[in-house]
Amino acid sequence: MNLSLSSKQKQIKKLAKEFAKMELSPIAKSIDDERRFPWEVVEKMAALNFFGMQAPREYGGAEIDSISYCLVIEEISRVCAAIGLMLAVHNGVVVYPLSKFGTHEQKLKFLTPLAKGEKIGAFCLTEPNAGSDALSIESTAIKNGDYYIVNANKIFVTNGGVADTLIIFTSVNPEDVKKGFSAIIVERGIPGFEVGLLEDNCGMRANPVCSILLTDCKVPTTNLLGNEGDGFKIAMTALDTGRIGIAAQAVGIAQGALDVSIKYAKERIQFGVPLIKHQAIQMILSDMATMVEAARLLTFRAAFLRDQGSELSYSSAMAKLFSARTASKVASLGLQIHGGYGYSKQYPIERFFRDARATEIYEGTNEIQQIVIARELLKKTED
Amino acid sequence: MNIIVCIKQVISTDQVKIDPKTHSLIRTSEVSRLNSFDLPSLMIAKELKKAFSASVIALTMGPKISEEVLWEALAIVADRAILLSDPRFSAADTLATSYVLGMGIRRIGNFDLILCGMRTADSDTGHVGPQLAEELGIPHVTGVEKIERHGDYFRVERMSDGFREIIEVPKPALFAISSKMKVSFPSLIEIQDAFSQGQIETWGLEDLNADPQKVGITGSETFVEDLIPIAEKRSCVFIEGDPRQQARSLISKLMEKNLLS
Repeated sequence: MNLSLSSKQKQIKKLAKEFAKMELSPIAKSIDDERRFPWEVVEKMAALNFFGMQAPREYGGAEIDSISYCLVIEEISRVCAAIGLMLAVHNGVVVYPLSKFGTHEQKLKFLTPLAKGEKIGAFCLTEPNAGSDALSIESTAIKNGDYYIVNANKIFVTNGGVADTLIIFTSVNPEDVKKGFSAIIVERGIPGFEVGLLEDNCGMRANPVCSILLTDCKVPTTNLLGNEGDGFKIAMTALDTGRIGIAAQAVGIAQGALDVSIKYAKERIQFGVPLIKHQAIQMILSDMATMVEAARLLTFRAAFLRDQGSELSYSSAMAKLFSARTASKVASLGLQIHGGYGYSKQYPIERFFRDARATEIYEGTNEIQQIVIARELLKKTED
Repeated sequence: MNIIVCIKQVISTDQVKIDPKTHSLIRTSEVSRLNSFDLPSLMIAKELKKAFSASVIALTMGPKISEEVLWEALAIVADRAILLSDPRFSAADTLATSYVLGMGIRRIGNFDLILCGMRTADSDTGHVGPQLAEELGIPHVTGVEKIERHGDYFRVERMSDGFREIIEVPKPALFAISSKMKVSFPSLIEIQDAFSQGQIETWGLEDLNADPQKVGITGSETFVEDLIPIAEKRSCVFIEGDPRQQARSLISKLMEKNLLS
């Protein structure tokens, strides 16, 4: 068992860390304040292959290992969680399922521009009446010759406002949603495609989360990902691996919250000494640091298992559950260290606090992760 | 065209720890990084490589952990990376360092151009470039911002006291590159390729046929007597009064400190 990063992983971590410091740190606050998607960094991140981190080389990707992938997402999210989210969703639940389930033609047409960062991806599962209960979707795709006529009302779509290529989960069989559950690739701008209003979310405000409305959209049958009825499998496979990215994002947020809290505790003088000299503050910081390390190790383990080709659901659900809770807890403790200043917009801790909370909800709520873990536990005890 | 870029692994300036006995810096992987003043040389090497299909060798002297900066150089531009490493090389001053680098370059053999940074972020002498040129008996120019190749000479530009100097230098030559050059990051693909295609060659004292009397602490003509960290203290002064009084008071305070005359 070797718990140290390889030289290559160290180089990749350093790249992401320096990029975040130089390019994201100066804008992290303003894009959150202005609820603005930072187009100015998209091309720069594309040049570094951040949009196709694990995609195959022949389709423009960098094919880095999953731990390196986590390191990039962590370092980006440590400075700007909203951009970390954009990358985690694009890479984890769009680029990855296209790499795994796409045909060669689909990969050339859709995966390559996504992996090169010429286009941005989104994953559209959630609907007003279907969230954790994915099989309750009402969206339909009715086959008509060489086309599907797709109708869908997708909500809370991460990257929705800027996405060019979207994986829409729908059913080709309205009588039996489960049997007909399918994934269809839809391109922005086709007739009947409508981007809804930007969600006025509590955190992750630089990510254009919004609804996507498809009304009688004519989509070629060649855009079907996998086969008809494969949708649920594709969604769950994407989410199992996607969760590792979200876990890494949560670790990044937690680490970022810890960073700014240590900085503040060193600067702020109370009772004649910096806060950090008070044992009560040291205890909080040490708990925070311990949780961050534990979350990181669980995340690395899930990433390691993924590269080994092992069964993932159990470990990625655990990594995501624990890291998301850690991000919320650590950001909350960090805010407490900041006192009144932590509750104001003057310090970045309030942004970490707001951003952290989302990680407990998206890509499967904490409770869904618990269900996944429990299922595996039951299987194990039955053995 | 064959280019050799000399680089150094330094310690992040905010994390410097000093060995109380030898007064030399303590290195660990976590606090070490590529000297930021070497990045511009790697960037210029990248431009020249693109323009002239030049071959680029990255060279450094240091302990094994210095391999990390060579990997970085491989990701950015280098085709080959060489680490000059031997316990006898340690605690070298700039003269002994230049000698070892010179011996390394003699072993490499054929080169047209050597590029160095202007100085290092951790010891800040700016000696090694010029000393290395002297060691090899070749011309050098410091503060170079632009390099053009013309047959058997280079035409380079450097900024000097508000003037742009244009200098012609016969090949082979050494240039210390200005830190004003714009730097960029290697991509994930470039890092992947560096590790899948590159390797690091390590040469010790015997490989270089170097004189043991001229390397490391034995070969050093200078010895650091003491190294004392200076804690920078900043204090905030509030200037009271109406704007006119405040301006007057500010001017007199600046004049007192000779910041305004």
